[in-house]
Parts: sequence; structure tokens; C-alpha cells
Amino acid sequence: MSTALARTAAEEALGFQLPNRRMEDWRWTDLRQLIDKPYPPRQKVVAKSADVDRLLASSLFSGVAATRMVFVNGEYDATHSKQANGWVESTAALDDPVNLMNVAFATDGARLRIEGNVDTPIELVFISTDAAPRTVATRNVIEIADDASATIIETHVGEGSYLANSVMEIRIGHNARLDRIKVELESHDAVHLAHAHVIVGQNVTFRDFTLTTGAKLNRQNGTFRFIGEFADAKISGAYLLAGKQHADTALVVDHEVPNCASRELFKCVMDDHARGIFQGKVIVRPGAQKTDGKQSSHALLLTETAEFDAKPELEIYADDVACGHGATSGDLNHDHVFYLKSRGIPEAEAKALLIAAFVGEAFDTVHHDGIREALAVFAERWLTEHRRKG
Amino acid sequence: MTLLNIDNLHVKLEDEDRDIIRGLSLTVNPGEVHAIMGPNGSGKSTLSYVLAGREGYEVTEGSVTFKGEDLLEMSPDERAAKGVFLAFQYPIEIPGVATMQFLKVALNAQRKARGEKELSTPDFMRLVKDRAAKLNVSQDMLKRPVNVGFSGGEKKRAEILQMAVLEPSLCILDETDSGLDIDALRVVADGVNALRSPDRGMIVITHYQRLLDYIVPDFVHVLSKGRIVKSGDKSLALELEEKGYAEFTQDAA
Repeated sequence: MSTALARTAAEEALGFQLPNRRMEDWRWTDLRQLIDKPYPPRQKVVAKSADVDRLLASSLFSGVAATRMVFVNGEYDATHSKQANGWVESTAALDDPVNLMNVAFATDGARLRIEGNVDTPIELVFISTDAAPRTVATRNVIEIADDASATIIETHVGEGSYLANSVMEIRIGHNARLDRIKVELESHDAVHLAHAHVIVGQNVTFRDFTLTTGAKLNRQNGTFRFIGEFADAKISGAYLLAGKQHADTALVVDHEVPNCASRELFKCVMDDHARGIFQGKVIVRPGAQKTDGKQSSHALLLTETAEFDAKPELEIYADDVACGHGATSGDLNHDHVFYLKSRGIPEAEAKALLIAAFVGEAFDTVHHDGIREALAVFAERWLTEHRRKG
Repeated sequence: MTLLNIDNLHVKLEDEDRDIIRGLSLTVNPGEVHAIMGPNGSGKSTLSYVLAGREGYEVTEGSVTFKGEDLLEMSPDERAAKGVFLAFQYPIEIPGVATMQFLKVALNAQRKARGEKELSTPDFMRLVKDRAAKLNVSQDMLKRPVNVGFSGGEKKRAEILQMAVLEPSLCILDETDSGLDIDALRVVADGVNALRSPDRGMIVITHYQRLLDYIVPDFVHVLSKGRIVKSGDKSLALELEEKGYAEFTQDAA
């Protein structure tokens, strides 16, 4: 049997054919090659409370007043949660491989319906503790009622070797507002596969920000459907990657109705041998006139060996729209570094400041001051911290 | 003690063979203001960059001693912490870094390098507000990213503000007058004059005599083709204004 047809050990354990480079969306992230060991699903792992506490404290937002809801090794942890879980039905019919794995393997997840104006952010913390390699999958469904507003944080942390699979279905009702902030801070020996599926109603204001900085291998899909007019969505993200980290974000922004605006802004920093990928597709369906859809990705490559690939795609079936995309990549500006050094700022600190400034633009979509501040502090420390650890 | 001693300095661009500075010697003592004048291409900006430690230049001969130490061995941030400050001819715009934050990081990095205690936020704010008011630098400018969207005059005032906050012992002003109208020039010059002190030296690099009406130098040097061809007192600047640089560029050829 040829190797191409042979199931990998990982596939054997999962019972799935993993996506590979022959699939256009996965050309840069061939899971058949990159997932090099089995991560059997549905393994019951009991966590030590001290481990959970330690990982919980590693959230960037432990200093931010938030209502926490904690999932440990794929299951709701009542002891560490302030927010009770509820029940909202999953409705998304997604056929991508990440979702299929999730449907088969998810053990639990947040199921929340938000009504009214919820001022205090809700932080969903997904923790994986150190144990034998396994798949940890959660399926989360969040419904924001008409006229409601909320800020939802998703923090993914862990230790050891595991494959985290996280699907987030979000339905945002008419005239509602949602700020979603995701921080992927998984163990550096982990794989993180995610799909966010967001349905944006009429007159909605939606802000989405994702920081990708953990995991050795990260693939995040995003599907954003506009189903009501006059909605406005800003989807932004930042990568802070080092070592041999690999992160691939593939977004589809689907304008099904007229008069909506979407903005995508990704600021990606790659050090060492890290590789970042950004694939963004904007679809404007027939009749979705007056769509305003723009997309840009910018990469900062700190070494010659770091890499960034961008694939913007526009599929436009309406004639009265304003759509565009842009991508840049480059090194830190030497004049900027010199100017800071000439004022007494040592090189490492100067670079850290410039990196934080570069990714900081992507934090601007975050309304909550405390959350934005915590992100900025993390970005400023990232370079020196990761270089110190090696 | 001598503040700065430049002895027979030769400098070339790293990727070219031609020397830009060719045997320049200059001594600056504390309290002195030296003006360096010269035509375009005489090496004025190169001199300022070499003193600040910019990459891309190679010293092929000679030495630069600052407070008794070899300046050329130090990185730009070490030079700054020891007291060297270059006010740029074209201040760099740094998007995303607020001016206030930049000043605080710079001042505390210098203090840390000198083994001094970092300034608390309230003490720092007081210091900056005091200095900024004297230079007509608004609170709004301090909140904006470093030099981004500043007018020419605002950029130069921001440079002098940095100088006033960092309190260096050697100020190098590279064509600080360029791009300034007469009112802005006066504000900047007042700011510089306020920093004149018996233990601070200054090198004022300029093409035109005009700036020296406001910042009156103790010494004036004419730089041509990479070396000082004539030195004198402030009257030399007036002489240059009248006769131009032709005499020196021909002599040096």
C-alpha cells in the first residue's frame, strides 16, 4: 500500500482522514504530516486542583474582573466556575474537518444565552492539564439575544502534549453587540484546532480579536455570516510566534445581505523559524449591494528563517460594493530601532516596544480598557520572555 | 575634564571606499557651545550620526573620547545613558508608541543604566508637564505617537523636549533650524538656551548663520570635505553669511 493511502497513526486513533495539502484550504497546513503522533479522543483525565489553579492564574486576564466559566480537560468544572452552564442547541452544519472531529469527539462546552446588557466580561477558560497525549474537544454555543450586549473572552491554556479542538458557534441577534476576545495560550507541545462560526444579525456591532501565541501547531477557521442588514463586524488578530510554531488562520466573511461592513486586520510577528499563514476570503452574494468589505494582513519577520504566507480572496457577485485587500511583510524598521536606542533604550527593549506597537493596532477593536491593557502588557513582554526561555 | 575629544577622525560609509570625515579634530569642554557650519556634503550629518552610534559607518582612523572613555566602543543606548543626545535633523516617526510612554521608557532605561532609581509615574508626569509647558508642547502631542502627524516645528520642539527631559551632558543639534519659521525657531532656541549650563556642552550643526543669532556659540568651526578648515568665534559665522562657503570648498579641493 502506498504511504499516501496508508492511514497515519494519528488517523488510526481518530478514525478520520486528516486534511492534507491536496485540499486547497490546507495547502500550508498538512495535518497528515504535521500531526506526528496519535491523540486518542474521549480520554477521561482527572486534574489536580493545584494544576487547575496554576493554569487559571496564567490567563492574561486574571487581573480583570470577569465572570469565569472553566472547562478542564474538556469538561465543565463547577468548583472553579462562577458562571453556571446552560443549554443552547447547536445548529451549525459545517463540513470542514475540524468541525467533523469536533462533532465526533466533543465532551462538553459552554452553552449560554445572553440577554440584556451584561457589563462584566464573561471569561471561558479552557484548560488542559499534563497527561498522556489525547484529544480534548469542546463544542460551545453562544446565543446573544436581540438588543443584548456582552464581552466574551476565550482563554485556552494548558501543559503537556494534547490536541485541543474547539468549536464556537455564535448567533448574534438583531441590534445586539458582542465583543469576543480569544487568547490561544496553549502548551508549546500542543496542537490547537478551532472553528468559530458566527452568525451576525441585523444592525449588530461585532468585534472579534484573537491572539495566537501558544501551541506548536495552530489552525483556526472562522466563518462569519451576515444575515441581517446594517451590521458592522471588525475581525482582528495578532500572532506572536517563535521557535518552530506554525499558525494558520482561514477566514470566510460571507456577505449574504446588503449594507453591511466588515473589516479584517491581522498583525503577525514571527521570530526564529516560526511560520504564519493568513487566508481570508470575502464573499459578496448576489444582491448584497453596498457591501463594504476590507481585509489586510501585515507581517513582521524578525529573522531570515521566519515565514509568512497570505492568501486574500474576493468573490464578488454584486456590482455596487467597496471591497479590497492588502498584505505586507517586512523586518523591523532599522531607523525606528536606532532612534529608540539613541534615547537610551537598549536594543531588546526597543524591539519589544516596536513589536508591541505593531500588533497593538489589532487590539484597537477591543473596547474593554482592562482587556486591551492586559494584551498590551503581554505583547511588550513577549519578545524578551520567549528569548529568555529559548 | 574635557567632555568630548575627537582626534583625527576618519569615517567612511561601510559599503563605500571614500572617506566622508577626513581627519577631524575637535575638543568640547563643559559649558561650551560649538557651532559647526559647512556646505552640503561636508560631513556635518555624518559627524552627528557617528557620535550617536548609527550603524552603517566605519571609523578607519582616529578616536573619540567622551568623559575619558572610548565613545566608539559604546552602543547607541550606552552613549545616551552616558549623556550623549542627538537632536535629529529629521526626527523619526514611530507609529503605535505614545510620546509620553516613549519618554518614560527612555528616561527610566537611562536611569537604570546609570544605577539610579527609576522615576515614579507621578514624578515623571510632573517633570514632563513642566518641561513641555516651556516648549509649548501640548498634552495632546504627548498622547500622540512619537512624531506621527507632527508638523516640522512640532517635531523639532519634541526633540528639544526629549533633550530637556533626558538632561544629557552633550547635546548635538543637527540642523535643528531646518524647516522652521521664525516663531518656531525662537521657541526652539529658547528651549536650547534654557539648557545651557556650565556642565553641559553643545554642538550646533547648521548650514545657516540664522540659528546662531538665537543660540550664540562660543566657537564656530567651518567643516569642508570632512575636516575643520577654520575655527573662530561667533564673528566667523557672520563672515560666512556674507561671503559664503566658496572660499573653503576651493581651498580644500
